[in-house]
Amino acid sequence: MTDWQNSPAAEDYTVDELMIAVLADQFRNGDQCCNGMASFIPVAAFMLARLTHAPDLVWLPSSGGLESRPDRIPASTLEAPLWRDSIMYIEQYSDFWNFVLNGRWIKKFCVGAAQLDQFGNANNSVIGDDYHAPRVRLPGTAGLADMGSIGKKLYYWNPNHSPRSMVEKVDFVSAAGYLNGGDARERLGLQGGPQLVVSNLAVMDFHPTSKRMQLRSTHPDVSIGQVTEATGFELQMPESAVPETRPPTQKQVRLIRETIDPDNMRKREFHRKS
Amino acid sequence: MDKVLKIEQAAALVTDGSILALGGLSMNSSPMAFVRELIRQGKKNLTLVAIVNGMAVDWLVAADCVRRVISGLVSFEGMGLAPNFRHAVESGVVTLEEYSEYLLIARLRAAATNLPFIPTKAGLGTDVIGLHPETTRLETDPVTGEAYVACTPLPVDVAIVHAHAADVLGNVRVDPKLLWMDNEIVNAAAKTIVTVETIVPHSSFIAEPHRTTWPRFITDAVAEVPWGAYPTSCFPKYGHDKAFFSAYSKAARNPECFRTFWDSRLAGPDTHAAFLQANGGAATVNRIRRPTT
Repeated sequence: MTDWQNSPAAEDYTVDELMIAVLADQFRNGDQCCNGMASFIPVAAFMLARLTHAPDLVWLPSSGGLESRPDRIPASTLEAPLWRDSIMYIEQYSDFWNFVLNGRWIKKFCVGAAQLDQFGNANNSVIGDDYHAPRVRLPGTAGLADMGSIGKKLYYWNPNHSPRSMVEKVDFVSAAGYLNGGDARERLGLQGGPQLVVSNLAVMDFHPTSKRMQLRSTHPDVSIGQVTEATGFELQMPESAVPETRPPTQKQVRLIRETIDPDNMRKREFHRKS
Repeated sequence: MDKVLKIEQAAALVTDGSILALGGLSMNSSPMAFVRELIRQGKKNLTLVAIVNGMAVDWLVAADCVRRVISGLVSFEGMGLAPNFRHAVESGVVTLEEYSEYLLIARLRAAATNLPFIPTKAGLGTDVIGLHPETTRLETDPVTGEAYVACTPLPVDVAIVHAHAADVLGNVRVDPKLLWMDNEIVNAAAKTIVTVETIVPHSSFIAEPHRTTWPRFITDAVAEVPWGAYPTSCFPKYGHDKAFFSAYSKAARNPECFRTFWDSRLAGPDTHAAFLQANGGAATVNRIRRPTT
């Protein structure tokens, strides 16, 4: 598995595979990471990181088994097949929360949401102006609201980058990002916060002082104009030129397709009409 | 004292208008046979406490048993939104009191331990806190000046959980011990009803006390319902029935199809065994059964 980095850039790959490779790169050897439900892309990224540069990555799926070794990504990221060859079962959720509420452990959380705004606040609760009469009732905050406030570094993935999913202001703050920007998050006594947004068009991060979302790289064959047009707010531009997102290597693509996710679960959240 | 009841008798303990907490998590270990019995008995105006749930809430909402849902999440995960729940909340038929997962755990713990509140930083900065300023109070510690959320007690009338085994006295075993948030609801509840895959001899608890999950003084009634979490899973015996979830979601797109599905495959069958039969019987059971390890 050591040849993954020297493997040539893949020419035959799809955007889900590129997103997985970009996210995998964020999780280093020795990091402790966790994910939420319906999280095929994060799970694939953790599995890819473990098979390549981060064999000692600690992975806490949001339920059941700790440090499991599933033979492939199953249809639910909250159920038994994902716990295969775990080193322990999480007997109850309060154990999970004891691990994550402690500031020392499990510092990285990879998650998606229906809406993200320019300060990295996330919404998975309602679409519409009136919370009590929503246009769409979404699944709910679940652990998202908790994880946003307890010092985690948040890594967002968005398979459908559009003005509807990337909005100026979320309809409801299910998870705290940088709130109104600047030092708002810090003033509330919250550590951590959003680090990166990986979408099907580009990679974005946050300006160090304004905390506004800024473009870090565009995916191959995607123009800056396409990204800004698909973004519902003024995306900040870096001072230097915007590079192209590094495509996955052939080896990474092979691992994703043949070992990690032969059933193509990773493609499920893409091109969803909501 | 023998606590074994038929599931019909156990469900009759739930009165209209009560606060009912449902065990399990999402596709795992939901007390579905019990929920189906509540529907058959036509319960009304229930408040559900369902921290992370899907099908159980959707059934009860579809059957018009529910007035209010206290929850962190209701969905079918990768299979989409819970259709009846979604429409009932959007149209205002059902009130949703939304919290995060840990805020609910903290509220249940406050109830379980007789405390005025449990403090946490979880949820701080989100709009969730402002939805119910009386039960999740934004406060500042007078000593350190740190902001926190004060989570007030969430009282529960009846907790209903599904487990692997119990004896007739009401000692209960969840084995392997994957309890989700069932401990939180059981500890907060005035009454606990347990459905189990099987009733086992009392002697087996004495032989292996390390496998006991809840002692008998916690449980009020036990009902034996093999495959009682179907169509959700009961690890390691069986997985959730993906085909049921898909067929249910598909039927829900059209009221007439849903009515047919509801009558023939869901609420119509008069026993849990008949319900399993209506959903494929032995073939389905064999499909979802996990190989023993």
